[in-house]
Amino acid sequence: MSKNIHELEQIMFPPDGSGVKPYEWMINPTRQRQWIDKQGVFLWLAFFFSEIGAGLYFVSLFYQYKPGLVLGWLITLILGGLVHVAYLGNPFRAWRMIMKPNTSELSRGIWIIGAFAALGLLQMVTSGGFNIVFNVIMGILCLLVISHGFATMKVIRALPAWISNMVLPFSIISGVWIGQQALQLMFVFGGQAELVSGMEVWAEAFYFIYFLCLVLYVWGTWHANEIGAASIKMMLSDELKQITLIGVVGLAVVLPLVLTLIMWGGDTNGFMVFLRLASVFAGDLAVRYIVMKSAVYKPLLERS
Amino acid sequence: MPRWGMVIDVKRCIACWGCSIACKEEHFLPPNVFWNRVLIGERGKFPSSSKLILPILCNHCSEAACVEACPTGATYVREDGIVAIDDEKCVGCRACLVSCPYQQRTYYDKEVKDREYFPGQGKTELELIGEKLYPFALGTVIKCNFCTERLEDGIKKGLEPGVDEDASPACVNICPVNARVFGDLDDPNSKINRLIMEHKGKQLRPEFGTEPAVYYID
Repeated sequence: MSKNIHELEQIMFPPDGSGVKPYEWMINPTRQRQWIDKQGVFLWLAFFFSEIGAGLYFVSLFYQYKPGLVLGWLITLILGGLVHVAYLGNPFRAWRMIMKPNTSELSRGIWIIGAFAALGLLQMVTSGGFNIVFNVIMGILCLLVISHGFATMKVIRALPAWISNMVLPFSIISGVWIGQQALQLMFVFGGQAELVSGMEVWAEAFYFIYFLCLVLYVWGTWHANEIGAASIKMMLSDELKQITLIGVVGLAVVLPLVLTLIMWGGDTNGFMVFLRLASVFAGDLAVRYIVMKSAVYKPLLERS
Repeated sequence: MPRWGMVIDVKRCIACWGCSIACKEEHFLPPNVFWNRVLIGERGKFPSSSKLILPILCNHCSEAACVEACPTGATYVREDGIVAIDDEKCVGCRACLVSCPYQQRTYYDKEVKDREYFPGQGKTELELIGEKLYPFALGTVIKCNFCTERLEDGIKKGLEPGVDEDASPACVNICPVNARVFGDLDDPNSKINRLIMEHKGKQLRPEFGTEPAVYYID
């Protein structure tokens, strides 16, 4: 009997906290679940793929490198777009999301991605696609697509961890940083050693801006209010500690720093470029995961 | 046109959870889905501690964060102030759910639909009847609707919401200590407005600027 009761309790109130007792709801800082748990992981991946695809497209514009444009465009639309749709409860109604661009950030994002898809395709298929006007328009669209995910999160006032002013700069630099890494690797595969070496100066700059934005985000959120601080503490809780230490500290910060220092001044190596891309790729995924997973709501009933 | 709202007297509330149960019964809500909750907290340390009781439900905010976040217009504020969801328009993006500072919405997916009150023993007849009588659309968000059906039916019959039980929300009717009062916020002579003015009614988390239609007095 007692075993049955225990089993019942496990079903009704699973240890992951998803079945919290009704009278304990929102009396402690409560984690947001919808945009990261269960089906929510699709949204995390969708934001990430949109960001890195647009980042690759953006950096490729400066080198007028068509394969980079094509790959960036495909990653943004195929991976980012399809995973986005997979997240929705009713994907066949997704067209309705273009209805409210005046208020909803999600709706504006659909318009921006639509414009990116159409103009990007035009730029890739036309012979004079790399003219200055086209490049500027596409550059702006890329930056908007990169920041779309975090811009959607930033308008949610209920979650202090997401409304930091550093969210958008951090999002943009992470997209550009990974895009630059991906393009550098494409040049490695293309045997363009001079370009690979020449790009290293950008890698150094982007890494330090990325690191600075990450530190400022954590510092700003910690000092914003007690709920922001609770989010930062949650990053180091038992549940998220490993991802924070291995993913964020190890893969997003330390390993790329070591590799960047080794290749300092353009002394590049194909394997290390690949290793750094893999590291920042996994690291940025971890950063986004942690940011989404550790966002908490202010309790409705405060205990003192 | 009235603007419906509610006053909850937290001093009267005895945390009997009658409102939670009546609401579940009225809308046939699946296990672990609550449109009405009674939160229990504690302040101070023994022996000088006090118990805090806070009944909560959707605040039907006039500046609702969920309405702003909805990319399809599925969530909207009706003329009578009730925040409603058009499940035909909802894409299930859950932006409303994440935006709500009060966390009063639930995503209704297959996992929620399949929950049984007696796990492993199949759904009871009442649960099956509920699914037919009060169906929710899969992949959409659900929440308290101030018992819109009761309100509308009651008004059609010439009854007065907040006064006549058949035109008032189930949680208001069930409350054994009359801690809940329902009425028209736009009528300066309504009981609800009198209570708000006399007791200096407070809204929950006013710092979010959502202008809730649920007020608390003590």
